[in-house]
Amino acid sequence: MREQSEIKDSIQNRDRIHVVMFFLSLMFMVLGGFILAWIIKIQTTYTVDSSVIGLFRPVEQKHVDHPVRGRILATDGRPMAISAPLYDLYMDCTVRKKDYQEEGKDSLERAWRNKARELGRYLSAEFKDRSADEYANMILSGRQKGSRYLRLQRNLDLSTIQRVRTFPLFKEGPYTGGIIVEEHEERIYPYDSLARRVIGYVKEQNRIGLESSFDTELHGTEGYEWRRVTDNKRWIRDLDSAAVKVKDGNDIRTTLNVDFQDIADKALRAQINANEDIRAGICIIMEAKTGAIRAMVNLSRGATPQTTLWERENLALREVGEQGSVMKTVTLLSVVEDGYVRSLEQTIPTNNGLVPKYNQDVHILDYQRETGRRAISVMHGFEISSNYVFAYLAETYYGKQPQELFDHIYSYRLGEAFDFDITGLGKPVVNRPGTPGWSGTTLGTTAYGYGISVTPLHIATFYNGIANKGRMMKPYLVESIEKDGKVLKQFVPSALNESICSAATADTVTRALRAVVNSGTATRLKGAKLPVCGKTGTARVVLNPEERGGSRDPYLDAYGRKKNQGTFVGFFPADDPKYTILVTVYSYLSSKSFYGGTMPALAVREIVDKIYALDSDWRPELHRVASVPQMKD
Amino acid sequence: MSVKTILHAIRNTFRAIRSGELLLRIRADKYYMHIMYLFLLMWMTILLSLQVDKTLARVGDNKAALERLRIHHAEKEAALVKLHSASAAEIRLRELGSEAALPNEPASVIKSK
Repeated sequence: MREQSEIKDSIQNRDRIHVVMFFLSLMFMVLGGFILAWIIKIQTTYTVDSSVIGLFRPVEQKHVDHPVRGRILATDGRPMAISAPLYDLYMDCTVRKKDYQEEGKDSLERAWRNKARELGRYLSAEFKDRSADEYANMILSGRQKGSRYLRLQRNLDLSTIQRVRTFPLFKEGPYTGGIIVEEHEERIYPYDSLARRVIGYVKEQNRIGLESSFDTELHGTEGYEWRRVTDNKRWIRDLDSAAVKVKDGNDIRTTLNVDFQDIADKALRAQINANEDIRAGICIIMEAKTGAIRAMVNLSRGATPQTTLWERENLALREVGEQGSVMKTVTLLSVVEDGYVRSLEQTIPTNNGLVPKYNQDVHILDYQRETGRRAISVMHGFEISSNYVFAYLAETYYGKQPQELFDHIYSYRLGEAFDFDITGLGKPVVNRPGTPGWSGTTLGTTAYGYGISVTPLHIATFYNGIANKGRMMKPYLVESIEKDGKVLKQFVPSALNESICSAATADTVTRALRAVVNSGTATRLKGAKLPVCGKTGTARVVLNPEERGGSRDPYLDAYGRKKNQGTFVGFFPADDPKYTILVTVYSYLSSKSFYGGTMPALAVREIVDKIYALDSDWRPELHRVASVPQMKD
Repeated sequence: MSVKTILHAIRNTFRAIRSGELLLRIRADKYYMHIMYLFLLMWMTILLSLQVDKTLARVGDNKAALERLRIHHAEKEAALVKLHSASAAEIRLRELGSEAALPNEPASVIKSK
């Protein structure tokens, strides 16, 4: 009986366990079924409410990496333009103000204000532009007025901003200290105004110089990556999302020589500053064999003489104007190359300085009076820059076929705006036969420099062709495009015209240019440390109707004043030219005259003397004449 | 395999689940090591993922440090280059009361032979 009772108990006990297990299993199965049904619902019909959708998404941000703009380097690698961020410092003066206004927190507000006074002392010591009290008052009155964006300083460098972050209050961060730092990428030009017009800039719509022409190379390409927050609240790159690597801009190595640019800038400044009537001045130094531009200075004063000299406009490229007597070399080169003048000593009759239809040349009357001669050599006519001699040569040799002279002018590339590294090279104006500007005297005036308008760069390029024995090189400013010192693209010198004249003609004209310096209009260059040859030019500038003020003469205003430009262009050393140089000064409206043989020649002399002292090509060699006995061990 | 057999298998499975004997019936103890290995893999995945996060955070810090160094370098370079021109040197020398100026003659070169 007892056994039967025990068996019965055991069966009842097991049934109870089964029942419990059954209900437990059933519960899990129902739960599982519910989860399964819920999953199916979410996957098929469920839509998330838009107000809470953000909570379901992983926290991610698209971070755009801006490329570092490439550097512009001088020919020796010295940077002329580099990029670095600058920082503006602001302050949210109202930070924690509301919290501290609650009852029982007066002491915190008082502590904040004391720290603000302490901060004022630090800011005053750092920037020295306001007293400590002024800074403190600014901050505290900003707190009073509720200023959330008080500007404290602008354009600070990284070292300064790092120091500022350690100042009292600011070191407590933006949420207690109220510090706001805004970063903006800036272009730094270490040499200030030096070659600024050539280097240029890119500011929204204003784009000039190399910065503009080579913007695609310098700029680089933006990159981006998606970032997510880690469990420690750190932003890290999301490796599961797409990313594009930022590509920094390439560097541009120019042909500019900082020392030459500095020397030319200083020499030109000295000349312009010495005379209030001078509005602007330019200088171009070009390497004869390659056409590489080693210096290009463009200084101008602005509307009034009181304004500071600065690189305001690229006159060397854009100022299209009549260049005056420097164009006589064009005529001389043409008549010698065509064989019309076989020797510079060849003479022409003086005719009292009169060529029919042209103004009388008083230089010839002086010449006749001083020498008693009735004939003048082409060489002497060139030395004294006689308009008569060149009008006579043009009318005599090209009078029947003026196009012949103009063909030469075009072959010297003086009739077109050739391709150049900086955009905006002025287009010359040539009054050739058949054009509206052509008249009975255009041939002669062109021969002495008034019928044709070109830029200073055109003139320098032409003279460089003579220095280079007839091979006219294309001027250029960029040597190579580089990345981290590795050359990606090399620009090689090229010729605009392989031969504008024979070497013999170039030598003949060089002799004439040398005579101009030795005994002509540029004798101020006679004692230069390297022999210079070149030509002076003085031209009156055509006035616009406003400047003329009713005057009928296009070169004079109502008070008889005029605008002059004086030029010296040549090359040195005369016997083996290495550099071509051009200096032009432009005057305001003035009753004075400015000649190419004065200020420009003086500037050229200073430049030549200093280049002589710096350039390694002219270093004298000292040879060892004695030997030092060797030490014995 | 007939429908009847399938239904029978389902019923058996259901009964096994209900009585808590499923793992025993399918001899899951044979796969104990595999199950443990799976857990180990999952644990390692989580651990490595945390390590990757940590490394990426460090990469971000280093990138920022490198960027700061680049900016420092650019600023110092600009400051030094500013001093590295003949005019700047002349001005500085004048300020210091020196009479030294740019040379008038080029430097001589000594040739040994």
